[in-house]
Amino acid sequence: MAASTNAATPPQRRSSTLARQEALTGYLFIAPYLIIAGIFTYGLLAYVFYISFTDLTASFAQKPPAFVGLRNYIRALNEPDFRVSLTNAFWYFVIVTTFQTIGAILLAVLLNTRLQGIRFFRTLLYSPSVASSVVISLIFFWLYQRRGFINYALGTDIAWLRNADRIFDPILQVFGVTSPPNFFRGPSITWTALMVMNIFTTIPTFMIMFLAALQDIPGHLYEAASIDGATGPRAFWYITLPMLRPVITLVVILGTIGTFQVFDQAYVLTEGGPLKTTLTPTLLIYQKTLGKGTQPEASFGAAMAFILAAIIVLITIIQRRYIERANLGE
Amino acid sequence: MAVSAKQQPVAATSAREERPASAYIGITIRYLLLALLSLFAFTPFILSFLGTFKTAAEVNAFPPTIVPEQWRVDNWVRVWSFSIPAVQGRLLPRWLFNSTWLALVNVIAQLFFCSLAAYAFARIRFPGRDLIFTAIIASMAIPAAVTLIPGYVFYSRLGWINTYWPLIVPKLIVPVGILMLAQFFRSIPKELEEAAYIDGLGRFGTYWNIALPLSKPALLTFAILQFQGSWNDFVAPLLFLQSPKLMTLTVGMSFFRYQYTNDLTAILVGAMFNAIPMLILFFIFSKYYIEGTSYSGLAGQ
Repeated sequence: MAASTNAATPPQRRSSTLARQEALTGYLFIAPYLIIAGIFTYGLLAYVFYISFTDLTASFAQKPPAFVGLRNYIRALNEPDFRVSLTNAFWYFVIVTTFQTIGAILLAVLLNTRLQGIRFFRTLLYSPSVASSVVISLIFFWLYQRRGFINYALGTDIAWLRNADRIFDPILQVFGVTSPPNFFRGPSITWTALMVMNIFTTIPTFMIMFLAALQDIPGHLYEAASIDGATGPRAFWYITLPMLRPVITLVVILGTIGTFQVFDQAYVLTEGGPLKTTLTPTLLIYQKTLGKGTQPEASFGAAMAFILAAIIVLITIIQRRYIERANLGE
Repeated sequence: MAVSAKQQPVAATSAREERPASAYIGITIRYLLLALLSLFAFTPFILSFLGTFKTAAEVNAFPPTIVPEQWRVDNWVRVWSFSIPAVQGRLLPRWLFNSTWLALVNVIAQLFFCSLAAYAFARIRFPGRDLIFTAIIASMAIPAAVTLIPGYVFYSRLGWINTYWPLIVPKLIVPVGILMLAQFFRSIPKELEEAAYIDGLGRFGTYWNIALPLSKPALLTFAILQFQGSWNDFVAPLLFLQSPKLMTLTVGMSFFRYQYTNDLTAILVGAMFNAIPMLILFFIFSKYYIEGTSYSGLAGQ
C-alpha cells in the first residue's frame, strides 16, 4: 500500500522484499474468505453443476450417481409446473420491482428533509422492514382473512389467500377476450395479495439506500437549478433522478434477484396454491429436491436451480445495460 | 410543529425563505403526509400486538375490533409454555435462545473476518487484489437458491444436517461485509495509518488499533444489519435444522403454525416474539443505522 509505493523510494532490493511482505500479509488477511468461499460458494457451485447432470436423489444413500447428460435440463424445460412457477415469478418480478423502486424513491425524497422529528418518522417508516418475512406473513395471514381487517377496511368480501381468479380477467373481458392463455390473464388475486405484502415490506429497505444517496447529492446543484427556475417536480426530474441512477441500478438488480427467488411467503401462507398460482420456482425446487409429495430428486432440483440462475443473471445484465443507457430526466 | 420548524429552517430553499406563509403550508402538508404514511406502515404491528390480548372469538370477530374488549395475557402464557410430547420442556424460550446465540456468533465472526479482508482490499497491495475483489462482487449476484439445495447434499455428506455448522461455517465471512467495510476503510485518511505503521505497529496492529476504532459507525451498522439478517433467516435453518429443539424462532414459528393452524392468537404472539426484539434493537440503534449507511458505501457511490 501507500507506505511501500508513495513514501520515499528505498533501494530496489529492500523495496521488493517489502512488497513481498506486503503481499503475503494481504493474502493472510483474505485467507479466511478464500477458504470459506472456495469451499462453500465456488466449490458448491461446481458441485451443483456436476449433480445437475446425474441422477442423484436426495436420499444420498446410493452409490456414485450415474451421469445422465442433459436429461434433467430437458425434463425441467418440459415440466409444466416449472413453467407455471416461472410465469408466477415473472409477474411477481415485474410488478413488485416496479412498485418497490418507485415507492422507495418517493418515500426517500419525502424523508430527505430536515424537519423537526424527521428521525422519528424515518424510524417508523422503516419498521415494516425490520420483522422477518415469516412474521410479516403470519401477521398478514390474519389481516387477509375473509373476515379480517383488510376486507373490513375495503368493504370487500374476498378470500385473499384462496382466490385463484386472475386480476387481468375483467380488463380482458372488456375487450371481449374470454379465454386467453393463463400468462396473459395475469397473476391471481392471491398472488397479487402476496405482492402487495412484499411491496409493503421492501419499500423501506430500499428507501434507506435512496435516502443515503440523496444525502450525498450536493446542495449547490439544486441552488443552480432554482436560479434557472427549476424547483419541485422539475428539480426532481432533472437533478434527483439522474443523480440516483447508480442506486436505481443497484435497487432494481437486488429487487430482481429477490423477487425471482421468492420463497418464504409462498411457503408459509399458501404452499403454492390456490391452483398453483403462487407456486414459485424456489418452492418447486425445494419440493422436488426434498421430495415433498413425490420422490426426492436432487439432480432435477439442481437443473431447475441452474435454469433459474441463468434467467436471473440474463435479466440483470439486460437491466444494467438498459438503466445505464437510459437518459433519466433528459 | 410549524413553530419548531421555524427555529431550524435549514432545509428551506432560498425561494421558500422569501415566502414564509407558503412554506408553513408545505411543512404542514409534509407532516400530515409523514404521519399518515407512518400510521399506515406501523398499523400491522399495532393491530397484531393488540390482537394478542384478545380471545379466540374476538380475534376472529367481524366486524373486527381494534382495542381488545377485555385484555387477556393467557395467549402469551400459552405460547411461552408451548411444548410437544417428543421434546422435554418449553420450546419457545429455547428457540429465542437459539436465534440469539446464533445471530451473535454470526455477527462476531463476520465483524472480525470481514473487516480483516476488507482492510486488505482497501489498504494492502498484493497481486490479483482487484480481480479477487471483482469475483467477490460477482458472487453476490448468484441466487442463494442455487447453492442451497446442493448445499444440503454436501452438508448431509459431512453429517452436518440437524446441526448448526451449516448456519455458522459458510457465514463466517460474507461478501456484502467485505464490500461495505472496504468502502469505509478507503475513506480513512492514510496519514493516520502511515504514522502508526512507521512507528512499527505492523499491519495487523495498524488494522486493529487504528482502522477498527475509526470505523465504529460502519461496524455497528454492519453488525445490526447482519444480526437482523441472521435473526430473520428462514430458508437455511428450515432446511438444515429438523429437530424442534434446535430450531430458530422463525422456523419454530412456521412449525408452530402447522401445529396450531386455527389458533390465531397464538400465531400472533409468536410473531410478536420474533418482531419485538428486532424493533427494539432498531429503535435503539436507528440513529447509527440510518445515518451510518451514507458513508459506509451502501449508497452505491
